[in-house]
Amino acid sequence: MEKAFKSLILLLICLSFITGCKNAAKQGDANEMVLYSALAAKVRGLDPGDIGDTTSSVVASQIFECLYQYHYLKRPYELIPQLAAQMPIASEDGLTYTIKIKKGICFSDDPCFKDGKGRQLVAGDIVYAWKRIANIKYLSKNWWIFDSRIVGLDEFREYTKTCKKAIDVDYSYPVGGLQTPDDFTLVIKLKKPWPQIVYLLAHLPTAPIAKEAVDYYSKDIINHPVGTGPYKLKIWNRGSYIELVKNPDFHDEFYPSQAASGDVQLGLLSDAEKKLPLVDRILLMNIQESPPRWFLFLQGKIDLSAIPKDNFESTIDQRGGLTEDMKKRDIHLGIFRDPSTYWIGFNMEDPVLGGNKPLRMAISCAVDKAKFIELFTNNRAEIAYGFIPPVMKSYSSAVKDISPVRYDVNRARELVEEAEKIYGGKIPKLVFTLPGTDVVVRQYGEFYSRCFKEAGLDIEMEYMDWPTFQDKVKTKSAQIFSLGWIADIPDSENFLQLFYSKNVSPGTNNFNYSNPEFDKIYEQISVMPDSPERTKLYRKAEQIVVEDCPAVFLYHGVAYVLYHDWLHNYKPHGFGYGLSKYRRIDVKKRAAYKDLLKNIK
Amino acid sequence: MINYVIRRLLYTIPIVFGVLLITFVLFNVVGGDVTDQIAGKAASKETRDEIRAEYGWDKPLIFALDSQFVNHIKNAVTFNFGRSWSDRERIVDKIKRGAGPSLSLTIPMFIGTVLISISLALVVAFLRGTVFDIIVVLLCVAGMSIPFLSFILFGQYFFAFKWSLFPVFFWPDLSPLQYVALPVIIGIAAGLGSNLRFYRTVMLDEFRNDYVRTAFAKGLSTHKVLFKHVLKNAMIPIITQVVMAIPFLFLGSLLLERFFGIPGLGYLMIEAIASRDFQVINAMTYIGAILFVVFNIITDICYSLVDPRIRLE
Repeated sequence: MEKAFKSLILLLICLSFITGCKNAAKQGDANEMVLYSALAAKVRGLDPGDIGDTTSSVVASQIFECLYQYHYLKRPYELIPQLAAQMPIASEDGLTYTIKIKKGICFSDDPCFKDGKGRQLVAGDIVYAWKRIANIKYLSKNWWIFDSRIVGLDEFREYTKTCKKAIDVDYSYPVGGLQTPDDFTLVIKLKKPWPQIVYLLAHLPTAPIAKEAVDYYSKDIINHPVGTGPYKLKIWNRGSYIELVKNPDFHDEFYPSQAASGDVQLGLLSDAEKKLPLVDRILLMNIQESPPRWFLFLQGKIDLSAIPKDNFESTIDQRGGLTEDMKKRDIHLGIFRDPSTYWIGFNMEDPVLGGNKPLRMAISCAVDKAKFIELFTNNRAEIAYGFIPPVMKSYSSAVKDISPVRYDVNRARELVEEAEKIYGGKIPKLVFTLPGTDVVVRQYGEFYSRCFKEAGLDIEMEYMDWPTFQDKVKTKSAQIFSLGWIADIPDSENFLQLFYSKNVSPGTNNFNYSNPEFDKIYEQISVMPDSPERTKLYRKAEQIVVEDCPAVFLYHGVAYVLYHDWLHNYKPHGFGYGLSKYRRIDVKKRAAYKDLLKNIK
Repeated sequence: MINYVIRRLLYTIPIVFGVLLITFVLFNVVGGDVTDQIAGKAASKETRDEIRAEYGWDKPLIFALDSQFVNHIKNAVTFNFGRSWSDRERIVDKIKRGAGPSLSLTIPMFIGTVLISISLALVVAFLRGTVFDIIVVLLCVAGMSIPFLSFILFGQYFFAFKWSLFPVFFWPDLSPLQYVALPVIIGIAAGLGSNLRFYRTVMLDEFRNDYVRTAFAKGLSTHKVLFKHVLKNAMIPIITQVVMAIPFLFLGSLLLERFFGIPGLGYLMIEAIASRDFQVINAMTYIGAILFVVFNIITDICYSLVDPRIRLE
């Protein structure tokens, strides 16, 4: 017995010796610049045409490039050419866009090409990528980008319906609205003006893809990304980690030399004019649980991290700055506004809620947004009064005065009485559907339940997994639901379309909201180029929605990101994805972190 | 015995068919439609119809030659599970890739738990009624009362993060021995309570038998009585417990794999459940059912090997 116990202890000591923390030293060669980062969700695929989730976009955007990209440092967000040689030339009627493409840009080397050598990018690759999204047999999630936009592309989609399989589709089938007069010119003809097209040309799904790669890898193209970007996929151990390495044939692109005010002081221009990418290798670890992610960040194994809810108080002090412990570790804090809005949505086709504005207003008055933000976001949010987030150019703080509701329980009770007169009796029990079944979501439910009850309303909370929730909302079966939206592009039209009557469920208008006055303005502004007049109309449209109260607009997200001292050129960005190329790592500082940790201990 | 095995194998056909029927009803009838999730935001009706056609969800449910149920059976029999709808990867590839990491975690965990708990159970049963026995029983009850997640969080925080004795998480540079060590220890510690209590009860039942007293009366050493007689006679419940646990080793450990980044089948199952990837869940359930049935037969065969009184007829 004693012998066995001793053996066990010996085994434990041996194991801990073998597995000890010396592993940190193995993180890379001494001078190699490696960026270590964590992915909090699964990467679903690396085929840009079919990408529909943020995590996959973050990875694929290091490998693929679009015609345009956002300037890394300038604010408000500004588009600059990436694969395009210049900004697009739009015709006077806004129906034709001519785009010149840079010469000499090559796809990365891959066995799919002749002799394994990546060939030069041509305009036809962009046309192919877009036709591929239009191919209904390909089942792309991104057809919404081009739906009823480009001359002839909808007809191409109709043609693909006649094909049996995706591979039967003949991509030489002509599309009048996508022309390539020469290899480096793309002419796009639109059915009606679409000023937001330039933003979509910076959206990953519109990135060019080589037909050779799609033909060579067939359905496994999701595992074999072949792009023109700064990095190449080296290893993808699914569900575990992704390793990207510098693309040796990456075209000339340089770190920006212009910046927003304050960026110089933050050292964001110290690498100005340097050739990109700066980092040699990127290791993206799939860490879905927050405790190990947080531990690895504090151990210096990953370079940047969000702050888990449970660790917020030990990280951020009462003045909103970093705590002493974080400062001792030379950790920096980046705070930025998300282009997001979260709300409690009302189904406007519901017989109880739809025709009863006082009831919707009563609910709006009953919800204590400030308390919600304090309880559930650690104050990492701003109270919302409308749906346009403050990060958008068309945001106006005046929306606060326009909004007819404030947190006021007495007013909520008065409004409930008014609502009951309209309904013709006591308001029946309302059903509030929440996405998720975990403890935090149930805490949301408890909070909302209390707010409703204080206003004198009966409420039943329903908790369900995301797919079931989505199904319920899309089939107009949810009465009250909790949702939000993060903008794809820095144009408020992206939010406005959520209230357009032609987009009702299963479209993006989950409120099933319909107001002819709003529709009229939306139809007008959706074809207008950016101008002060359009901004005014955006605000007018928002005012109409806010007054109709199809939702309780809760909050706009504010993101807190922590990063280690050795990570340079970190600037949060609301829309850009392929940003790792700008980062730089101070290898010596990282190596010294182990000593720093010892001193802290 | 061969006849018995053949007969038992034939019995597995209706059992597996039953499992397939239940999984079909659960995932294809009760589970609901996942088309919207595949289609992404703002998908048109025609896109959703196309997706249904691609995955065969537009076909009749049961009563047709080419029905969803017939295809479900056909795919199961040929082990052609198709592609996961959430990432379009072949399910067979997912399972092949996940089996290694899962087994590298669950096999040492299983062997460790069985060896330690049986050895300790023998000792504790021998020392029954003593302070040592009482302390072990109390520790077992405490271990059984603590949630598995608490073991993980505690172990990861202290042993990996605070004291840096083990890596916090899987890392590409590490060998399997390194990143699996702590989860294995945690798994053993968490499983020890229930296993030890079970084996202690089994051993105590044996100790009460006359042959044990006879053996001691004949002057046999404690070691010989414990390991040659008591252990051998306690083999039937031990075999039941041990062999029937083996199929579950293939399914991995859901929580340990997720918290320690081990890309095994447990991790795969959690992701599939979270994204309602029914094809993956269905494939895993089917494989689990087959393994369970096969190991049931192996258990019966083992009975006859360890106890000559048992005949397979």
